[in-house]
Amino acid sequence: MKKIKYTARIKRYDPDTNKSYFQDFEVEVEDSLTVLELLMYIKDKIDSTLTFRAFCRSAICGSCAMIINGRAGLACKIQAKDKIKNGVITIEPLNHLPVVRDLVVDQEPAFNKLKKVKPYLVPDPKVVPDNTKVESLVLPEEFKRYDKQTDCILCMACYGQCNALEGDEKYLGPFQLVKAFRFIMDTRDGVDVEERIKLVEDHGIWDCVQCQMCLAACPKGIAPCDDILELRRIAKDTGEENIATRRAKFWFATVYETGQIDKFHLPEVAFGDERGKEITKKLEEEFKSRGMSEDEFAPKPFEGIEKFRNFIKKLEKEL
Amino acid sequence: MKIGIYPGCCFQGADIHNYDITVNFLENMGVEWVLLDKAACCGGGVIDETNKKIVYGLNARNIALAEEKGVDLYTPCNTCYMVIARTKLALDSDPKLKDKINELLAEEGLEYKGEAKIYHTLNLIRDFIGLENYKSKIKRKLSAKVAPYYGCHVLAPNETAIDDPENPTLLREILEPLGVEIIEGYKNEMTCCGYHARFTDPEQKERLAVKPLEGAKEAGAELVATPCPLCHKAMDGYEEPILQVTQLINLACGNSEKEAHLDFNKTKVNLKLS
Repeated sequence: MKKIKYTARIKRYDPDTNKSYFQDFEVEVEDSLTVLELLMYIKDKIDSTLTFRAFCRSAICGSCAMIINGRAGLACKIQAKDKIKNGVITIEPLNHLPVVRDLVVDQEPAFNKLKKVKPYLVPDPKVVPDNTKVESLVLPEEFKRYDKQTDCILCMACYGQCNALEGDEKYLGPFQLVKAFRFIMDTRDGVDVEERIKLVEDHGIWDCVQCQMCLAACPKGIAPCDDILELRRIAKDTGEENIATRRAKFWFATVYETGQIDKFHLPEVAFGDERGKEITKKLEEEFKSRGMSEDEFAPKPFEGIEKFRNFIKKLEKEL
Repeated sequence: MKIGIYPGCCFQGADIHNYDITVNFLENMGVEWVLLDKAACCGGGVIDETNKKIVYGLNARNIALAEEKGVDLYTPCNTCYMVIARTKLALDSDPKLKDKINELLAEEGLEYKGEAKIYHTLNLIRDFIGLENYKSKIKRKLSAKVAPYYGCHVLAPNETAIDDPENPTLLREILEPLGVEIIEGYKNEMTCCGYHARFTDPEQKERLAVKPLEGAKEAGAELVATPCPLCHKAMDGYEEPILQVTQLINLACGNSEKEAHLDFNKTKVNLKLS
């Protein structure tokens, strides 16, 4: 087997001294190692104090999520040789969670947030029979709506990569919201949708910045960012009214009317208060100072807009 | 060499000068262009909150408009790029979805074939213009310490990323020939600008936008350069100045500061031109 030489640059943390630092390990190892096997090699041969969390080595237990070259992923699923950049592979603990030692983070704060979304099925007596001998049927097309989301292994890679948490440490987190979506979609669940939506609103769905990093991080190909948009849609459709839902309605309405969003009136409509009016008024002053005439402020429909509107209507109905 | 300019929301209202910047950029590069004038909003991750299927339809149509004109599609916006590229992936991997949307597109005489490529400024320079050709268009050097800021949607998700998401170099390769000094590895250089929280949680946007700017300033950068007009909009107006990469390119290609629309920058930039 081919051997390769490179540097493993590992973030260390010693709770006894409260010191955090990078340590370089020069290794010459088989080129077939996963990042986890590389860590095990270092612990075995170079420094037995190196601490990390791992178990199944098969990308199913979700224990070994960490930041590898700035991106979160499972150490056991990633080939080390693919990650060597200029002779170095950089390994750090997940972001947004307290570090216990080296690459081990305390998962408790993220699990506590998960508990807030009621991450379990509350059987709907109308759907789930009392008699345990009778099956509770879920049709394939019903299951398809949350099939992917049930693949979540709670590894927290998405949480460790989330930008919304950079701005708000109280943010619920991507996998927590996936779990909320999964139970809203479950036909056997008896909790009112409105009640489940209420659980994800505070430091939740409206805080997401749609950066797509959770999708990039997920080892199972789940897209929390997409599920968050679905949760927002459900919140809007169940009557929630706030800056975000007003924006979503206005956005779609003006695209339907003209093909483009009306960014001039958007702040006024979305904020729905003096703050929004002020922004739109400032825009008006700015446009006038640029010599723009009033009919240039908002977009105009393009030629043949009727056919476009028809297309949108059909997409809504037939797709 | 002809390209179809996709007009997103970054070309209208208070951002109308972005259209000029884009056209000037293409003309400086000697790229012929045509405006996809019947194109519609990409959805911007917002129309999904009404109906995700509409987003697929809108962007199948946007791409079909480019294909009708026999050109590839170019948008300078990170978000438009990502949303349109993600739609293309969905359509190309789902023949049923593609056929159904094509049935509906037929009324406008359009067809999504899947032939047009989706370009953003970064891969347009690398793959369409060519880096060597790009360098040959630069007429003068700019003197400044510049911190590259990619913005999320050209690096995530992985399937549509324009460069290696873990170790991107393309923005450096594009900025270096302009004569500027590159400041990389600064704090929060990969942190999101927060633009898309503007109308869902405005305070969240405020908290995020300033982070990469502060990191760049700390590292000694005189300005931040981003390819994305939305990142630019989110991050302009704070202490550290930010410019769009195409503005810098246009200056280096000989455009005046007015032609490069430096006058629309909220935080003023002092650039030395040679």
